[in-house]
Amino acid sequence: MREPRTAGEPAAEPRAPTKLSIENLSVNFGPVVALSDVSLDIADGEFVCILGASGCGKSTLFNVVSGLLQANSGKIVLDGQDVSNRPGQVGYMLQKDLMLPWRTVLGNITLAASLTRGATARDRAEAAELARRYGLGDFLNHYPHALSGGMRQRVAMMRTIAAGRQVMLLDEPFGALDAQTRLGMQQWLLQLWRDLNRTILFVTHDVDEAIFLADRIVVMTPRPGRIADILTVDLPRPRPLEVLTTDTFVGLKRQIMQHLYH
Amino acid sequence: MNTRFGAAAGPFMIWVVAMALILISWQLLVWVTGLPAYVIPPPALAFATLYENWPRLSVLTGQTLHETAVGYLLGALIGFLLALAMGQIRVVQRLVMPALIISQAVPIVAIAAPLVIVFGFGITPKLIIVAWIVFFPVVVNVLDGLASVDRDMLNLARLMGGGGLRTFAIVKLPACIGPLFSGLKIGATYAVTGAVIGEWTASSKQGLGTYLLTANAQMNTAGVYAAMLLLTVIGVGSFLLVFGLEVLMTPWRSRATAPAWAQWKPSPPTS
Repeated sequence: MREPRTAGEPAAEPRAPTKLSIENLSVNFGPVVALSDVSLDIADGEFVCILGASGCGKSTLFNVVSGLLQANSGKIVLDGQDVSNRPGQVGYMLQKDLMLPWRTVLGNITLAASLTRGATARDRAEAAELARRYGLGDFLNHYPHALSGGMRQRVAMMRTIAAGRQVMLLDEPFGALDAQTRLGMQQWLLQLWRDLNRTILFVTHDVDEAIFLADRIVVMTPRPGRIADILTVDLPRPRPLEVLTTDTFVGLKRQIMQHLYH
Repeated sequence: MNTRFGAAAGPFMIWVVAMALILISWQLLVWVTGLPAYVIPPPALAFATLYENWPRLSVLTGQTLHETAVGYLLGALIGFLLALAMGQIRVVQRLVMPALIISQAVPIVAIAAPLVIVFGFGITPKLIIVAWIVFFPVVVNVLDGLASVDRDMLNLARLMGGGGLRTFAIVKLPACIGPLFSGLKIGATYAVTGAVIGEWTASSKQGLGTYLLTANAQMNTAGVYAAMLLLTVIGVGSFLLVFGLEVLMTPWRSRATAPAWAQWKPSPPTS
């Protein structure tokens, strides 16, 4: 039952070499099976959305991949190396922006450098350039409390990018934002992803968001948390907002909803 | 320019009005009760006594201020370091917390006497009493600050490769600054009380506390009130000083952008 596919759906052929492999991952919390034999290969530069209702093990999966949580069995392979239980190999971003209120926008973006070796003038200059290119240029010296929720999530994203990891795990990063802001953030993220060539694993429970963003969608179901299906999103890129109403989009949505609400 | 002046003048005017209200109430109390000046001296008499005795009172004020300030700094430092140790090491917290609570349950006046027996009539028992009062709110607030750091924030720091020391300095320590000042402000108003209690118990050197006792014994009520006024000024002054320091040291609470000295400005490339 690993990576089952729906009839008629073309098998996802990774165009690029495999960046990250999740191999036969199982996690139990006492008698509760949070993840049951989850396997997934993610190609270099791929955008994969993980979709599922709460309790399907999405966040558990992220905690294992990031190295915060030890799995009962299985392993995580990054660039051919076993990185299981080694925190700090991948970037990580949550729904909570986790800004340090006493640091300016720039100070928050350079947090990883400060935490590892101390931020240099060059780190700050690079961070400022990155922030300027993606619409935060006027807010470099602002404190986070002076920004809107959407702007703070942009800063959090910049902070994740500046940390320099090739694979980024984004756990419902736009979950707390209103619908309009979220749509803007999704387009902004796609632009970032296209420019910077990072590999993104994106958790969401919003079907539209998953289809709009992803190359592939991994649908997970709860009790026990497992992969129910993997769908390839055959929508051309760059994706204008109009794709939200195309037949392909609606067809995919119907297919996913059958998994989620059968 | 105008709005800036207005913003600064607003709180100042409120202070002036508040103090005027207190003086008016005091004067009204004297008029309404009709009590003689040796029971409640009118404000004017208290201020006149203060003015006439200023050469002597200023020396006494200096002594009490000295005890208050040194004891305060001592208590704040001990409290802060103790809270950091307790916050970082669980065992220390478990062991020390009951002792801390007991230390505050004992009436401060009861502690003063044994301190004099051990340390004599000098400044040491006064410093200990002031520090004793000040350190507790500091400990409790800083501990709260350390505990308030988001678990996810600490996880994020770990995932970014942050070691224990850097994570402590960058994520945990700044989270304590706000709570530290909450504790320091409480301590600032109480500290002078500690100095007075210390002087009352036994003192080889005269301060406002000892003057207060002597004036009271001599039915010099105006003198009592003059000393009271000076003690109040010390208390309020300490509070305002700490408050001002807090505003300076926590710019993210009152400003949208970093103060000029902390702002990042692009520099021309050097290489």
